[in-house]
Amino acid sequence: MKAYVLEQVDKRVDCRGLSCPMPIVKTKRAIDEIQPGQVLEVSATDPGSVADVKSWAQRTGHQFLGTIEEAGLFKHYIRRADLSDVKEMKKHPHTVSHKHLLQKLSEKPLILDVREPMEYSFGHIPGAKSIALGKIRDWIAELKEPSHAEIYVVCQTGNRSDMACQILHEHGFSRVFNVIEGMQNWQGPIEKNVAL
Amino acid sequence: MGKRVAIIASHGGVETAYKVMNIAMAATATDAQVGIFFTFDGLDIIRNNASELLSFASGKEHYAEGFKKANVPPVEQMIQMAVESGVRLIACQMTMDVMGLTKQDFLDEVEVAGAMTFLDFAYDADITLTF
Repeated sequence: MKAYVLEQVDKRVDCRGLSCPMPIVKTKRAIDEIQPGQVLEVSATDPGSVADVKSWAQRTGHQFLGTIEEAGLFKHYIRRADLSDVKEMKKHPHTVSHKHLLQKLSEKPLILDVREPMEYSFGHIPGAKSIALGKIRDWIAELKEPSHAEIYVVCQTGNRSDMACQILHEHGFSRVFNVIEGMQNWQGPIEKNVAL
Repeated sequence: MGKRVAIIASHGGVETAYKVMNIAMAATATDAQVGIFFTFDGLDIIRNNASELLSFASGKEHYAEGFKKANVPPVEQMIQMAVESGVRLIACQMTMDVMGLTKQDFLDEVEVAGAMTFLDFAYDADITLTF
């Protein structure tokens, strides 16, 4: 499987040689300069930044994608969250819990991971297919006719997967389920493919 | 709703200055509101000649080299960043009177107030720290 080469970074911030709290302070300033959905790369040599950047992201609500270490250099990847995005709208009625999906995994069901490729490569359900939400219509077009097999759709929090489910449903797919709890709460097996 | 961090700085010296400013800066990075009440020797940290007043405790001068090596910004720069991030610096009026200091002895950004002003901020704080 292709390892994403982390080319899809929208902004880079250099914190090499800096000590606590500067990597966090600079990370905070940089994230304010990018748009929701964009990815920030933080380069740091401070080993303390490994725990600090992660807990900073969790505290502020931004999505911590992961850290890659190479010869004492840490590269942290954070995706800016849209903290104001709480609008209510129509939801796809068919959802499954993680518990249910875990029981189904041995049957190798079709799982669509509709997050961006960077998010997918830092950890996804084994066997899941990466189709970003923005590409779902292309994927449907390729299939030529709608599938009536069970399709499980997952994203980070259950929002993008909800939209993907609705799109699939509109195109005639009859058995589509939103994995409502999202990858953020997934405790099952994980597959990664990242490389610098 | 963001968190609120209330800090009391009652000692002088470079070590205290860093303890206080480090926590304050990290807190602002999580969008917390931060207020620091400077009292007694802690007032040195926000004096306009702080760099002359702040030194390492005797026997701890070797820290200076370590700070340089670890690329820690100078105290004045940390304070400047804190001010830019909206940290409130409150100088204790009572101790200023005792020490014969006036507002002119402090950085422009410093507000002068009494214990009540700090308490008013601290009553709604999620964490209160004393250095």
